[in-house]
Amino acid sequence: MENYDAIVIGAGHAGCEAALALARTGNKTLLLTISLDAVSFLACNPSIGGTAKGQLVSEIDALGGEMGIIADKTALQIRILNRGKGPAVQSLRAQADKNAYHTEMKKVLENEKNLFLRQGEVVGIEVENDNKIVTTSVGLKYSAKALVLATGVYLESEIIIGKTREKTGPNGFKNSHGLSESLKKLGIELVRFKTGTPVRLHSRSVDYSKMEIQKGDDDISTFSYMTEKPIENKAVCYLTYTTPKTHEIIRNNLDKAPAISGEIVGIGPRYCPSIETKIVRFADKERHQLFLEPESASTEELYLQGFSTSMPAEIQKDMVKSVIGLENAEIMRDAYAIEYDCIVPTQLNPTLELKTIKGMFFAGQINGTSGYEEAGAQGIIAGINANLYLKGQEQLVLKRSDAYIGVLIDDIVTKGTNEPYRMMTSRAEYRLLLRQDNADIRLTEIGRRVGLVSDERYKKYQEKLEKMQKIEQKLEKKAKIDEKLIIFFEKHNENPPKESLKFRDILKRVNIDIFDIEKEYKIFDESDYNLLEKVNIKIKYEGYLKQQEEDIEKMLANERLTISEDFDYKNITGLRKEAIEKLEQIKPLTIAQASRISGVSPADISILSILVKKSSKKGK
Amino acid sequence: MEEPIVAISTPLGRGAISIVRMSGKNCLEIALKVFHCSSKEIKPRYMYFGQLEIENGTFEECLMVYFKAPFSYTGEDIVEFQIHGGMLLTQKVVELCVKNGCRPAEAGEFSKRAFMNEKITLDKAEAIIGEINAETEGELNSSLKITNGKLAEKINKEQNDLTNLLAEIEVSLDYPEHDYEEIVKEKIFEKLKEIKAQNDNIIEISKSGKYLKNGINVALVGKANVGKSSILNSLLGEDRAIVTDIEGTTRDSISESFFHKGVKINLIDTAGIRETSDVVEKIGIQKSLDSINEADIVLFIRDGSQKESKEDKEIENSLKDKLVINVINKTDKPRIISKKENEIEVSALKETNISKLKDMIVDFVITKEISADTLVLTNERHIQILEECDSLIQEIFSIKNASLDVIAMLIKKIWEKLGQITGNTENEDIISLIFSKFCLGK
Repeated sequence: MENYDAIVIGAGHAGCEAALALARTGNKTLLLTISLDAVSFLACNPSIGGTAKGQLVSEIDALGGEMGIIADKTALQIRILNRGKGPAVQSLRAQADKNAYHTEMKKVLENEKNLFLRQGEVVGIEVENDNKIVTTSVGLKYSAKALVLATGVYLESEIIIGKTREKTGPNGFKNSHGLSESLKKLGIELVRFKTGTPVRLHSRSVDYSKMEIQKGDDDISTFSYMTEKPIENKAVCYLTYTTPKTHEIIRNNLDKAPAISGEIVGIGPRYCPSIETKIVRFADKERHQLFLEPESASTEELYLQGFSTSMPAEIQKDMVKSVIGLENAEIMRDAYAIEYDCIVPTQLNPTLELKTIKGMFFAGQINGTSGYEEAGAQGIIAGINANLYLKGQEQLVLKRSDAYIGVLIDDIVTKGTNEPYRMMTSRAEYRLLLRQDNADIRLTEIGRRVGLVSDERYKKYQEKLEKMQKIEQKLEKKAKIDEKLIIFFEKHNENPPKESLKFRDILKRVNIDIFDIEKEYKIFDESDYNLLEKVNIKIKYEGYLKQQEEDIEKMLANERLTISEDFDYKNITGLRKEAIEKLEQIKPLTIAQASRISGVSPADISILSILVKKSSKKGK
Repeated sequence: MEEPIVAISTPLGRGAISIVRMSGKNCLEIALKVFHCSSKEIKPRYMYFGQLEIENGTFEECLMVYFKAPFSYTGEDIVEFQIHGGMLLTQKVVELCVKNGCRPAEAGEFSKRAFMNEKITLDKAEAIIGEINAETEGELNSSLKITNGKLAEKINKEQNDLTNLLAEIEVSLDYPEHDYEEIVKEKIFEKLKEIKAQNDNIIEISKSGKYLKNGINVALVGKANVGKSSILNSLLGEDRAIVTDIEGTTRDSISESFFHKGVKINLIDTAGIRETSDVVEKIGIQKSLDSINEADIVLFIRDGSQKESKEDKEIENSLKDKLVINVINKTDKPRIISKKENEIEVSALKETNISKLKDMIVDFVITKEISADTLVLTNERHIQILEECDSLIQEIFSIKNASLDVIAMLIKKIWEKLGQITGNTENEDIISLIFSKFCLGK
């Protein structure tokens, strides 16, 4: 039996980040995967980022993770979403090269000195005191004190296409058989979720002339704060629509659709419905938009976004051909639905450690989430905490006010989820503070503290802070009241001032931004668009940011009130029965977390906070 | 230290002195915004005499004590105002603190803080729990749902409307690339205007409801010899119901009340009026002015047969921001005085139009038809929440070029505030609505 400090099961987006975090903090780490060809595989759409997800990628990056760097490196096209709707909701979205993404991540793993990447399917886990022993399908055994499970959608997974059911993982990879049973034996509760993916088409068979082209942005940002050179747009996407005929074909064949006929028992995500679900639920909608996205520069395959289905393959052919521009389309891979086992995430602490077994962590889709970014975010936290566990140090919990990662983990471990959980900006109550542009300022120090932020990254970060300070200092200077200033104001439809004023105050005017000032006055030595933009947002939104900071302050007071793990809820008089049941089940770590559990009222919290205080005093 | 809270800490309406207490962060700062005294420095545990600025230019004598954390009941900074008793004035001082940054305390909150800061002993914890529970139960019993189904419905609907609005905004923020009609600011503003109008309506009715419960305080002012006392007597006339020292009006003034259309009308500081009428020509203006503070409505009485004097002007100036009914007396004589707004001509001597004046008083503040089951919010806290919602809506209207993320943040705040009334603060409801209304997803 081989011994490691830590073992990570699964080399998807969660597993890779977890393994890298563990190895980079000095742990001898084994990363086991069912197939080395499935490492960091973009099994569904060939894209990284998007609303809220872009923020997650930049947060992973600021903590010292890998996803942002590789997304930048392998991007085929990059765009900023929500331009003009406010800085809080602007997010990057990149078309990623699926093959390159896999290859690049695999290279990084292979070149990490403490990391051992190995093909092998885990079929059983045993816990002996502190040790976790895993057994693979070929009978090999490995042991480690820390274990991270990041099995993605592979647990007892089944692919469904019409009447055809196959016990495989995504994209025809082998599935994981036996591990689910082993988890149940450890007392872990599982549920069954479902998701799906659309067809892949051959590029030569598409009539692009009937579609609308979608290009990348010209002034391009990046996910990673380490990426030096801007990303080049190397590919375009196309927008097209379903037709009445598409809808007719689907309606006529609903009896053959497993998602509709009830053959699929797994719970699918509301935000990622199959095309047949869309047509049933939104019957009035005359057409649905579809995007054609390139899968990779090294293939002709195209991903048809918006056309996820589990219809029989024969019908899929007709459906595709009814779409504008796809009249002669060649399908290269069929669309499918996939069902899989995942755990009920309320069994985890906000550290992603299982409440009942110390040293056993869970990350990614096994926790009932969906998305590469959500997986990567949990992966890095599980990796960080597995390392802290091994070192006997206090584990890291990002708060809801620190990061989207904090919101994500708090949501799933506190409220659970009854569908694959997707990050949305509307889930973050402190959205104005959790921006993509300031992820590094929010999290680099934390990443440094847990040992993941390299000297190089840290130096870059400090330099950036200095530059921002310089920009802010320049804004403290006054602009003299003269004709130039008055014309400048008038040009931007602002009432001219009566006396000289600080540039900072000029910047507060609604119609003037930092770039206007730079253009007219050239006061900054800085030409970096991103840096200027950061300062611009910071000052223009000062008042609102302050409001959110005050809200956070209130929340943090309750966040500091910790509840001991063995707190006895049962014998409390004064708490309502429903509240007791919920609290028993979730076992919140703080009063703030308790207050977010649905079914726990403000009065319950009032009482609980007194009792918690009381019991902590008795304990002393 | 936690956010500042305020409450009246003496029993309402009893005793000559009331204490209003603040606890929490910045409470001295808040106090000094409204309390003016000659001392430059406020030392803890010293008592200071000064003036509270109740409204613009209106002052009340007050004693203030400051306790510095941790040497206070709650263990936080505490400021106490000691003021002359009387419900109305005390309530106004609380409102003043709220306006300047305090939040009205919840039941048992001072004690709870005291406990959290280890200021009171363990055995007291159970008692505090009882207090909180009692309040919760009390609220449940008198709560919207049970006693006021219609109001609950209305506020629920308001929150639902906001949920819908938020769903539309959030979907355009979270799913920018989908083909639905994106929400425009005009539509948001229109909806908010509607909600504000509804709120205003509820607030107005509820305030009318308050008058139903507590009566309307009416002050009679005017220079000497215009007939204040005879109008007073005519008003009380055969309708006189109560002649008593009403609690919760003003210091040592004497109030007399009567009922009209089922509403109690308290005539305040009548002592002053009676006195001046006895002592002829001893001008009672100052006395009259004192009573104005306490009044919901001021009857400004003038002699219609005489020209306006300097004193009249003076009184008029002091009545800005007040609800005033201009009473023109002595209409049995030829009229010289010019036409006024909200005026009524009476003759105390011949008792003409006295009944009409009574109608006017009632109709002036009870603007909405109130029947037994109308929408009256009796919980002051709830009225305050609606007012806070209104000012947030006002804030949204006032921001030029606000981006959607900021607007969404403010609307979410309104939504959460309404949730404090309806009990619904589940973010998931908004997200569910997004998916049920819009066809989304890849």
